[in-house]
Amino acid sequence: MVFLHITCSFLTEKQPNESYFNIEIKKKIEAFASETDFNKASLYFMEKNWDSTLVYSTKQLSNVTSNNKALVDYCYYYRGISFKQKKLLKEAKNELNKISSNFLFYQKVRLSLGEILLAQNEFKKAIDYFEKIEKLPDDYDFGFKRSVVLHNLGISYLHLEQFDKAEKYLLKSSELQLFDKDTIVLIGSYSGIANLYYSQYKDDLAIPYFKKVYQLSKKIDDFEIKRKAALNMAVVEENRKNYLLALAYRKEFETWKDSLNDQNKVWAIAQFEKKHAINQKQKEITLLELENKHKAEERNWLFYSCISLLLLLGIGAYSYNQKIKSNRIILAQKTELNKLNATKDKLFSVVSHDLRSSVNALKNSNVKLSESLKTKDIEKLNTLLKENSTIANSTYNLLDNLLHWALLQTRQPYFNKELLHLFFIAEQVAYNYKALMVDKNLCFENKISKSDRVYADQESLKIILRNLFDNAIKFSNQDGLITLYGLNKNESYYNLIIEDTGLGMDEVTRQELLKETIWLSKKKNEDGIGTGLGLQLCKSMIKKNGGRFMIESEKHVGTKIIVSLQKHQKNG
Amino acid sequence: MDKINVLIIEDTFDDSDALTKVLLINDYNVVGVATTFNEALTSFYNNDVDIVIIDVFLDGKTDGITFAETINAVPNKSVPFLFLTSSSDREIFKRAKLTQPFGFLLKPFNELEILYALEMAIEKFNNQTNVFLSEEQNTVITGEYLFVKKGKTLKKVRIDDIVYIEVEERYCNIITEKEKFVILISLTKILKILDSTKFCRTHRNHIINFEKIIEIVPTDNLIILAGNHRVTLSDKYKNVIKKIRVLK
Repeated sequence: MVFLHITCSFLTEKQPNESYFNIEIKKKIEAFASETDFNKASLYFMEKNWDSTLVYSTKQLSNVTSNNKALVDYCYYYRGISFKQKKLLKEAKNELNKISSNFLFYQKVRLSLGEILLAQNEFKKAIDYFEKIEKLPDDYDFGFKRSVVLHNLGISYLHLEQFDKAEKYLLKSSELQLFDKDTIVLIGSYSGIANLYYSQYKDDLAIPYFKKVYQLSKKIDDFEIKRKAALNMAVVEENRKNYLLALAYRKEFETWKDSLNDQNKVWAIAQFEKKHAINQKQKEITLLELENKHKAEERNWLFYSCISLLLLLGIGAYSYNQKIKSNRIILAQKTELNKLNATKDKLFSVVSHDLRSSVNALKNSNVKLSESLKTKDIEKLNTLLKENSTIANSTYNLLDNLLHWALLQTRQPYFNKELLHLFFIAEQVAYNYKALMVDKNLCFENKISKSDRVYADQESLKIILRNLFDNAIKFSNQDGLITLYGLNKNESYYNLIIEDTGLGMDEVTRQELLKETIWLSKKKNEDGIGTGLGLQLCKSMIKKNGGRFMIESEKHVGTKIIVSLQKHQKNG
Repeated sequence: MDKINVLIIEDTFDDSDALTKVLLINDYNVVGVATTFNEALTSFYNNDVDIVIIDVFLDGKTDGITFAETINAVPNKSVPFLFLTSSSDREIFKRAKLTQPFGFLLKPFNELEILYALEMAIEKFNNQTNVFLSEEQNTVITGEYLFVKKGKTLKKVRIDDIVYIEVEERYCNIITEKEKFVILISLTKILKILDSTKFCRTHRNHIINFEKIIEIVPTDNLIILAGNHRVTLSDKYKNVIKKIRVLK
């Protein structure tokens, strides 16, 4: 007895309209957009990529905290179906059994379980599952066709050799399938029925079904089914001793077998070609990889050389910039030096000019002196001597300033700040100008308190005072008044003020005097020696003593020179 | 009152001459003008010198500084000195400064500068600064002398010559056996500086020199001193006598 193989029950799985299930999954994906693993599992499931489905559903399940019962059921379902499709029936069964009974597609689960049992030849258990589904009302939509269940029931009973039940279900399913035009399953059902009758030796009933199967098999492309149908027919005809027909069917069977073999061969060749192509591709890929590697190396090399070039460029630019900067500094210093040198030259010429004229005056005066000595004109002698002493004095002052200036510029002169009795220092300095003041009939008043003391270097203070007295006298008119007084209001500074009632100066001159390193050329008044050196020296000395220098002046009214000096040693 | 003895060490005649003139005019006594280092030493040891004016350069060498270093090394003969120089050269100054001079006098100088420098030197030497220029005091007291400013000049009085001191507000009458004069110093200050083994207070206003006591008349509260000066001994200070007895 040749027993026709039952059409693969798993095939039925493809047949039911799955769109309802798919829609439901898509809804779930949208509802649980954040569950990336679930979404991936679902997508792979719909694409029938079983391995990936298994991977992502496992991930989703392991992520217990975020799990939701519905998703868990889905995941188990995915896993069950995936295992089943991979023919890992035990695992599939385990997964499907984990699904809770309120799962929306629980009937599908049952169906799958039943199918698994069927495949495991546990027909009775399978029948339990199928009957449970079958007992549900007709209009109950469980996402697959009822005929599938009936067919499976039929097959199960057939295997159990309960032919009457098998017949009932198979016929029922074939009716439904006929109605649905589901050819492949119909062939399965018909062949089931045929086998059923045939095994009961109801050949007359069986043969039309076999024929039907054979007719239907011609309509489809599946060689396996065609082959089986042909074989069945051959066996049937053989049994009927209709050898001619049997032979024809055998031949057809052979043909289908051959074509199946051909197909397999073609398949194998295709497979081989594919393999070859893959190898070729692999080779290409390795080549490309090598090329890429090479390119990457080249690119890296380029990159590094670019970087080093840029670096070099940067360094170059920087050093160039530095050079320009230093050049600029040097240039500025050069101009500064040139300017200083020019002023120095100018000072030199002015000083020498002044000196020359003073010495010349002395020379002339000496001639006059000797003349007066000859004529014994004592009166004239006296005036001449006085004049000489004045000239000598101012020349001496100029030279003294020059000396101090030079000392200040080159070597540091002795400098020692201490508390000084300002009144007495002023008196000492003024002492040298007594004669000059008497000459101009100037009135001098020293109103500084004897207890006022300033913190300064004695010699430089004397130089400052000397120059300020000199100026005050020089710019005073006949019968003028020179007052020296102090303002002792500030906590740390003492303001020493030298006030005269002399010529005064305009604002421009005042500003000029306060500027640094500007030499006033020839004075406008009198023919007195003046280079501005004295005042410059004063300013430098005051600065060195940590003081400040100010001028207040009004033209034709007088000048007020204010020297701010420290009162105490500054801490630190 | 005696003149202050000044020793001048200066090799330039013009300078020493000018200096001498100024000092003499101002009633100082110039004990000598030395022109060399050796001369200076001789002069210094043979005279009673109160102050020395030293030129840094003697014959082009810095012998002035050497001299200062020498007299600094002698412990009991130490006197104030000041340097005379025309150079404000830093190096020279540095070396001169090491001898701890009591002043610098930069050439050219005028009368006021000399007098000022001398006064400053004496003040500094005795560690009693701000005396001669202040209005509260005009006397520097050393172990041996009172240096008193009289007008523009300075005078000295041997402390041992003082018989007693009579205090009158801000002034003190100094009575010696020969003369009597007024100095400007406060009682507290003079008591602080005077040697307490030689002087003691016998009255609110009187300080006497033990050495000058001739007779004490306790019944009359009277002390008779040399030169027949009589001073009252007030009750408050009577225990002073005990001190004298112990001494005698």
